Amino acid sequence: MKRTLASEIAELQQKYRGLTRVLETEACIELLGPLQFEASADGYEPITDEFEIKLIVPSSYPKELPWVRETGGRIKENYEHVFNNGKLCLAVPIEERLTFEQQPSLVGFVDKLLVPYLYGYCFWEKHGEHPFGEREHGEAGIVGFYVEKLGLSDDIQVLEVLLHLHQYGYRGHHDCPCGSGAKLRNCHGHALKKLYQLHTSETVRRDFCAVLKYCLQRDSEGELELPAALKRRTGNCLEKTAGNSR
Amino acid sequence: MMINKIGYSNFLNNVAEDIDIPPGKYQQAVDRYESVGRWLEDGSYLGSDGAPDIYPQGSFQLGTVVRPIRAGAEADFDIDLVCELPINKDSTSAYMVKKMIGDRLNDHKRYRDMRDDEGKRCWTIIYAEQDGIGFHLDVLPSVPDRRYFSDTSIAITDRQGGFYQWSASDPRGYGKWFNEKNQAAFEQVQLQQRRSIMSKAPTIYLSVDKVPDQLVRTPLQRAIQIMKRHRDVKFNGVQAAKYAPISMIVTTLAAYLYQNETDVYAALAAIVSKLHGHAGLVENRSIELKLSSLDLIRRMSDGTWYIGNPVNGEENFADRWHEDNHARARAFFLWIDALKKDLVDVIAENRLDTARNQFKKVLGASAVSAHLGLLSLTEVAASPVKVTIENPARPWKP
Repeated sequence: MKRTLASEIAELQQKYRGLTRVLETEACIELLGPLQFEASADGYEPITDEFEIKLIVPSSYPKELPWVRETGGRIKENYEHVFNNGKLCLAVPIEERLTFEQQPSLVGFVDKLLVPYLYGYCFWEKHGEHPFGEREHGEAGIVGFYVEKLGLSDDIQVLEVLLHLHQYGYRGHHDCPCGSGAKLRNCHGHALKKLYQLHTSETVRRDFCAVLKYCLQRDSEGELELPAALKRRTGNCLEKTAGNSR
Repeated sequence: MMINKIGYSNFLNNVAEDIDIPPGKYQQAVDRYESVGRWLEDGSYLGSDGAPDIYPQGSFQLGTVVRPIRAGAEADFDIDLVCELPINKDSTSAYMVKKMIGDRLNDHKRYRDMRDDEGKRCWTIIYAEQDGIGFHLDVLPSVPDRRYFSDTSIAITDRQGGFYQWSASDPRGYGKWFNEKNQAAFEQVQLQQRRSIMSKAPTIYLSVDKVPDQLVRTPLQRAIQIMKRHRDVKFNGVQAAKYAPISMIVTTLAAYLYQNETDVYAALAAIVSKLHGHAGLVENRSIELKLSSLDLIRRMSDGTWYIGNPVNGEENFADRWHEDNHARARAFFLWIDALKKDLVDVIAENRLDTARNQFKKVLGASAVSAHLGLLSLTEVAASPVKVTIENPARPWKP
């Protein structure tokens, strides 16, 4: 494992020459330096730029993904996609994982997640809008991801899907949680199975709670009518989980 | 073509090691100052309720010693030794304290013969050693003066003309601050360095763990040594020599700016380029927010300068920077500019001979000659990495 990480770091430094390896603790390895790129995307202008970044690779990598800070003061304070603690908010966690798995390595992380993010920033700086769109803040962004990725039609379906994952994991022979009446494997199964494989029970639980919170809030504000049966089932499920952990 | 970074960093490290105090010499220095310390401890001092506390301060203690250059040649090492007399500051005077320590040193025949003229803040004993590398041991008389939430701060004596006054200092507090900045890197390198010191000088220490912490050097300490040597050469014998940046400023700023880079070149490049970014302050221009927010070098509304002592904000290391039309400030930034050209930007040089001659000039031929072979050329770093974006994720915020 250690050797793989060392070679991943070497590969990263070979490609992005400006990155210097700095402090190493038991908790993480840090790489610091200018990141130069010339990025292009179909239908968009090529952008060449350079950012001072700090890339922090946790010792739990690749189970947990690296995080990044921009250290040059380039990213403006009014840019919204930065955590309060200065970490760049590359994507909602499950989307970040999904994108990372396209090329699961540190180079892949930079190529697939970081550079597109920085490209998006440069584009926003120039034109005031995001080239590839942005997720809504908070739980709404997570719901939005599932709606788009699984081709669902509303928030209630997202909640049903996550309740299913949280309760059973992936069960192809169950009825599809979208409510179509078809078996899951013949309906949203293909896309959902792929996502489920990237999840851990912990990340499923987090997304489930986030979506539930979002739906309950909209329900209480009268913007959404959460069916009583669904409310009951989520409630039962939560109680059960709480019971298990006791 | 450009200079290979790894080779260059090793070169800088070795040059710094060359101008550093060698382990054998370090041990000799410790023996010398411990003898002086014992002599001082055994004295009796009016109003003192106990033996004085004797401890090294400054670069010797911080691990940033460099061999000085005097009249163009490598000269004796300077070692500062604090002699803290347990006397209530209000019941004595700076003059008394200075005199009592001077008298005690005079009582020792050898020290009397080796003594130099009285210094502003210290008594100096000059050791001429047989191997030609001697020491200037500066003994700083002082008394406890606990202030600034520090249980180590002292008052040292300061002679201005014929008058003596107190001046605030806290060498132990500063040492602690510096060690904190240096700690993570120290942990990283110490074992390997102790082993290497043991194998190079097997007769001096009994075992790896007997090698003192003071001999371990992090990239921060190495970078500071290189900066100090570059300064010493640059200001050697020139008219502006008295405006040369003081070591406390160099050390403090470098320690603040060090971010645990793991090689000497990376540490030096990071420190120097950030200091270079402060140059606008001379013309009272604003500097980049990321630098000004560090608040390392402050330009006051009356035009004066402020670089605070990290353990005592009341002490301003740059208190004389505005004098003579900001001569010290100008000298500092001219030096940083030269440092950047000579030792950082030089990485882009594509003729090895030019670089080698320049290193001899700016760091001293005797210090660099043995290590020039470490330098080599390499292909220029590739142009920006080309990335084609497909299926990008969308930025989010929780």
